[in-house]
Amino acid sequence: MRWGPLTALLLAALAAPAEAQAPVDWSEAEIRLVGQHGPWPPPPVRDPSNRISDTPAGIALGEYLFNDARLSGDGLMSCATCHQAGRDWSDGRARGKARADLDRRTPSLWNVGHSHWFGWTGAGDSLWAQSIRPILDPEEMGGSWARVARLLREDKDLACGYDRAFGTKPDSDDERLLVDAAKALAAFQATLVSPRTRFDAFRDALVAGDREAAARYGLPEQRGLKLFVGEGNCNACHFGPRFTNGEFGDIGIAFFVRPGEVDSGRLGGIAALVASPFNLLGRYNDDPSGTSARRTQHVRRLHSNFGEFRVPGLRQVGRSAAFMHNGGFATLEDVVRHYSEVSPDRLHSDGTPLVRPLGLSAQQSTDLVAFLRSLDADPPTRPAPPPLCP
Amino acid sequence: MRLLAVLFAFFFANAAWADCPLDLGRGTGLVIFSDHYMIAFRPDPLRIEVGEPFALLFNVCTKSGSAGELVSVDAHMPEHKHTMNYHPSIVSKGDGRFRAEGLVFHMAGHWEISIDVRAGEEIERLTHDYYIK
Repeated sequence: MRWGPLTALLLAALAAPAEAQAPVDWSEAEIRLVGQHGPWPPPPVRDPSNRISDTPAGIALGEYLFNDARLSGDGLMSCATCHQAGRDWSDGRARGKARADLDRRTPSLWNVGHSHWFGWTGAGDSLWAQSIRPILDPEEMGGSWARVARLLREDKDLACGYDRAFGTKPDSDDERLLVDAAKALAAFQATLVSPRTRFDAFRDALVAGDREAAARYGLPEQRGLKLFVGEGNCNACHFGPRFTNGEFGDIGIAFFVRPGEVDSGRLGGIAALVASPFNLLGRYNDDPSGTSARRTQHVRRLHSNFGEFRVPGLRQVGRSAAFMHNGGFATLEDVVRHYSEVSPDRLHSDGTPLVRPLGLSAQQSTDLVAFLRSLDADPPTRPAPPPLCP
Repeated sequence: MRLLAVLFAFFFANAAWADCPLDLGRGTGLVIFSDHYMIAFRPDPLRIEVGEPFALLFNVCTKSGSAGELVSVDAHMPEHKHTMNYHPSIVSKGDGRFRAEGLVFHMAGHWEISIDVRAGEEIERLTHDYYIK
């Protein structure tokens, strides 16, 4: 009979999905690791370096400024031009495009208020300092201190909003008014917290020992998560509730942005940070305790900073149009393939490398992508901001 | 228990160190020693969190009873051969007490804390292994 091998093949084909759907067992150590990625959402941000952080009047003023194209040099571009609410606070492009074509992807602003370094290279040490940079950058908004200050002084509604937020009318100190505008922008951006996800429901159920609720999370997602906190060691850097330790890493992306020109990453970011008059060691830090400046005071410049970029948080990651600091990968599948096949020669680590080729099977890659997509959720519709001074 | 026994024997064999104040404000922290130094230290806050800045409080004592100085503090992950991304600063609080500020363990795992001390010309390095989950 020729049915024997065929029957065996059919049985194997039937058995394969059954094996793939085997329940996932979670050890106590794994449950602890999964638990570290929550709870979510976190408490609201209160930035001591920004005296209007987490204040309703500051947030309201910030939202109006965020959408105001008059902050830019030609009056054509607002923060919201690149950080669009409908595009998860990014722009849907592989690389940013403002007054010029940029070399890096526009980062999403989801959960940005919980960071401690800002921008892909951490050139900003506060959200308000980071908010100044694109306003003044001639390649981005091309604005100026004077223009922002004049807007706050001369626009009736904004002047009133400023008064409510800061308890004083806009004065003649242009630089301070620019900083205050940035502090309002930061107060608003810090409210952009991503919604709870299917992962969060699973995480809470797993930690609480609620098997029934945990079982609602798909098996591919569970297998992907197990890989993420286990063999993949992804949580070494993508740590905590935001899935980032907030620091920097070199994951083997090409240094060159074009022939003969490199992006030095964190190395250049630290140099810009130190040179900035708006860093937390400067006179605009509202925190008299100095605690908020601790990282800035102690940050260390290392040779290994070359080619390092900020570890991005992974919440809402699958909703992006492109990935990595340079938008070099179009899909999450491409990202996972990169980690599966990355060249160890490019990473030249002295010790046990944190990034190494994982050599994932097709099933593992699919599972990891499924898990990453479970960190996405549709955000609720944003209501229109209330009038600044009704 | 074994560690306590060793410490107990150590103190009685080195009467000059009996006066070394090990109280770091919220009880004694970790104690490490060499032939010449005994160092008590603890983190502030007491629980170190991944990615969060913390300080280390030190009492530095010498066997000879002369003043000991905390010269530098650093930490690295031996497995991955990388340091912290931050360089701690040290403030002397007098009487052999020091505060090292600005440490951050940015990853979970094994960190080796290196503590350089001197009581004269020569610097000696003491180390301590710390595991953060």
